[in-house]
Amino acid sequence: MSEFKPLDPLLHSQLRLAVMSLLISVESAEFTFLKEKTESTAGNLSVQLDKLEKAGYIEIEKSFKGKRPLTTAKITKHGVNAFETYVNALKNYIS
Amino acid sequence: MKKELSSSESLAIITDMIAKAKQEAAGDGSFYFLLWGWVISICSFGHYALEKAGFEHPYYVWVLVLPSVFISFFWGIKKKSKAKIKTHLDQVLNQLWIGVFMGIVVVLGFMPVLGFNHNPVILLLAAVGMFATGSLIRVSMVKLGAVVLAIAAVVAFLVPVSDQYLVAGIAMILGYLVPGYYLKNTYRERV
Repeated sequence: MSEFKPLDPLLHSQLRLAVMSLLISVESAEFTFLKEKTESTAGNLSVQLDKLEKAGYIEIEKSFKGKRPLTTAKITKHGVNAFETYVNALKNYIS
Repeated sequence: MKKELSSSESLAIITDMIAKAKQEAAGDGSFYFLLWGWVISICSFGHYALEKAGFEHPYYVWVLVLPSVFISFFWGIKKKSKAKIKTHLDQVLNQLWIGVFMGIVVVLGFMPVLGFNHNPVILLLAAVGMFATGSLIRVSMVKLGAVVLAIAAVVAFLVPVSDQYLVAGIAMILGYLVPGYYLKNTYRERV
């Protein structure tokens, strides 16, 4: 039997895990898309995105769409690895 | 939000979010099939009918292709600017059809060299694009459309140039429009 590895605390949170799961499926996603799909508030989502960015799991790009500011998030290679490690650890807990 | 997540809750979040992203990314996908299916089949039948009727310049009907190129181009830009997400699949499909389009342009540029047997070659290029698309979006009906186009290309090579337009028109309806409407109608079921 393999030992239970501790789950990455940065990913083991409802909203951050939801964001990472969305980003793993796409090339990049806008802030409004993440907010709508995770049903979170803009404030909370900003804080969690900031944490994921500081950990190097995602990249945030700020630009403009017309006159409106646009925030786009993209998962990094480091983020993909962290997500895969988290899912594998999760499998151990379940099986 | 602060409560401790259980393993099954984590798993539920992951599968739920991946499904939501997939739903958004799937799109309709039928716009180009319907636009080009209609335009090319109308032009092919038009060319065939005008030629049989003895019209001196039956190829005038192909002028319809020009606005379609613009519509395709601007629709693509509009869709891109409205999209809230970018997917690798969209980019691959886009590049694939740009490649097919470039191939068609080269073939059209050498129509006299090909003895005006360009229709079967274009059908083959479209068949390759359709087959790859069907495989990428995992829709067998689109792959079947590609087989129809490839068979039509073989048939077209065996008939006189003037009849190739009739073959191309029929092939575009069966191999392009039918999968296009299938995609449109099954869109809700796929996501």
